[in-house]
Amino acid sequence: MVIVVSEELETRVREIARTILRTPFTKRTWSELFFLVIGAALAFFSFAFVGVTMAAGVILAVTFIGFAIVGLSVRGARGIGGIHRGVARWLLDEQIEDPDPFAPRPGFLGWLQSALRDRIGWRAMAYVVIKVPLAAFGIFVAFSVWFDSFTCLTYPFGGASRPPEFGLVQVFFRPGFFSIGSSGFLHGTAIFFTGVVLFLAAPWAVRVVVYIDRCLMRALLGPAAMAIRVRSLEHARAQTLDASAATLRRIERDLHDGTQAQLVALAMRLGMAKEKLADTDHLDLDQVSELVDDAHRGAKEAIIELRDLARGIHPPALDIGLEGALSTLAARSTVPTELTLTLNDRPTPAIEAIAYFCVAELLANVAQHANASRASITCAQHGRWLRLVVRDDGMGGAQLSRVGSSSSGLVGLTDRVHAVDGRFDIVSPSRGPTVVTVDLPMHA
Amino acid sequence: MTTPIRVVIAEDSAILRDGLVQLLVDRGFVVTDAVSEPDALRRSVERDCPDVAIVDIRMPPTFTDEGLRAAIDLRRLHRGLGILMFSQYIETRYAAELLADDAAGVGYLLKDRVADVSDFVDALVRVASGGTALDPEVVTQLLGASRRADSISVLSAREKEVLSLMAEGRSNVAIASELVISEGAVEKHVANIFTKFDLSVSQSDHRRILAVLRFLDS
Repeated sequence: MVIVVSEELETRVREIARTILRTPFTKRTWSELFFLVIGAALAFFSFAFVGVTMAAGVILAVTFIGFAIVGLSVRGARGIGGIHRGVARWLLDEQIEDPDPFAPRPGFLGWLQSALRDRIGWRAMAYVVIKVPLAAFGIFVAFSVWFDSFTCLTYPFGGASRPPEFGLVQVFFRPGFFSIGSSGFLHGTAIFFTGVVLFLAAPWAVRVVVYIDRCLMRALLGPAAMAIRVRSLEHARAQTLDASAATLRRIERDLHDGTQAQLVALAMRLGMAKEKLADTDHLDLDQVSELVDDAHRGAKEAIIELRDLARGIHPPALDIGLEGALSTLAARSTVPTELTLTLNDRPTPAIEAIAYFCVAELLANVAQHANASRASITCAQHGRWLRLVVRDDGMGGAQLSRVGSSSSGLVGLTDRVHAVDGRFDIVSPSRGPTVVTVDLPMHA
Repeated sequence: MTTPIRVVIAEDSAILRDGLVQLLVDRGFVVTDAVSEPDALRRSVERDCPDVAIVDIRMPPTFTDEGLRAAIDLRRLHRGLGILMFSQYIETRYAAELLADDAAGVGYLLKDRVADVSDFVDALVRVASGGTALDPEVVTQLLGASRRADSISVLSAREKEVLSLMAEGRSNVAIASELVISEGAVEKHVANIFTKFDLSVSQSDHRRILAVLRFLDS
């Protein structure tokens, strides 16, 4: 009989075996063990601090001093949380984000109120309280597996005077297990191999305990979920403000360099014409009519520039709804573009504007860079979401990068989309096709 | 006829640049060069030694105050070169910087002023010949923002008009014709203003502007 082992399975098994054999010798294993020891010591002192101060605070709670001591305790717990975070960062490479710093209100009473209401301090205190039994358990596990493995490995060579029966080993092996053969070669070999197994398993036992601690720290020592949300909203708001400031600057620049300059030149030509007309002695009507011609042309150009600029600020087509605005865009595009639109409700104006500018920018990109023969816009409502898909059969290779000017428009778009919690996704393999998907909430 | 005034233009908007060239040539100036950025202006002044430069404040590369920086450099390097700053906005700080050491041969006008061709040409000639031309808007802002509001309020309405025109850089003759009064009357008003402000009267036009501006700005 031939056993056929697929090559894939073989490599998988080899991989796992290699990992198991190597793990006891990796830096991570020893860092985690070290963390367990340091963390336990730290937990002991932390708990002592929290326990003493809280007890004192509660006992004295009838007087004002009691509250002050509780405040101190919470404030201290916050600091202790920071130390635990630092140790985790140092030994476990566990990057727990720092919560917002303690910002007490002015005055002692303000400080006390802020301290007593400091959720981060209270959460750190909860961590300290849970950490103590966890640390005890961790030390028990680590000590039993490592110590047992050490004694088992050295036993046959006369290292330990009696068969080790300590901690976890007692749980997993019946009493008397280590009496196999009671003496002699078989007895020694069995215990030695038990030691090898324990040695290989020890890192994983420690890892499980450390993993629980990691989860606990992430939940209790990092910023609260609400704080994370607030932070991301603040970031989005800053981006929105920056974007609108940039837009205003662009509009000012366009007005300054375009329309305003046009109008100054226009006024200048009319001024010259006026003075020439006033000078009746040397009146040259040809010259005057040339000036008026130039002025007339300038005025028309200024009108066109103003119209384009106004459309860039708020497309008038949007007033009649997204459908009209998008079909105008599709019709104006130089690449033949097909529009499919299924909307039950009307999105809010801000969302319509973002959708419009996304499509406008994407179509402009298609026309400029994609070398496409046709494009399509799909705009569909999925419950509370609006999904925009712009597809072209061009050469692809479009990407979002913060450097380089060609894609800066796309980056601006993603910022606007993220500001309303939307998603912007671009798939553009080289040689195409490019598909850009934008998800926006119907109501911002 | 006197020798024509030689002008260099630094303005990044092509429409305005062409328009200015057309206007100045029409009015008998010699335009030595018309450039669109500060470095070209520096080279051009070095090469052609014009009498006066019309400089847009906002120019490439950053579109903030390159023109002003170039103008301040040029004034240090080329004594006697008149500088007419040309901008769509009035920033009093720019005026103050430009007038820091000397008001001779300095002008600061809004671009709109080219619409009144003769006034613009007068201002340019004044700057080219070492005089001063400040936009009425600059003067209004200086008067409005002045911490010496009490002192200004002691002036009569006529004296305020004379002060404004004087600060713009007009000579007594020009002020007289603008206000349709005699030159003697203007001289009397000017003397009154200086007495009320407790300044010593200077004969030279641009020195007295500087005295007035310093007084308003202090």
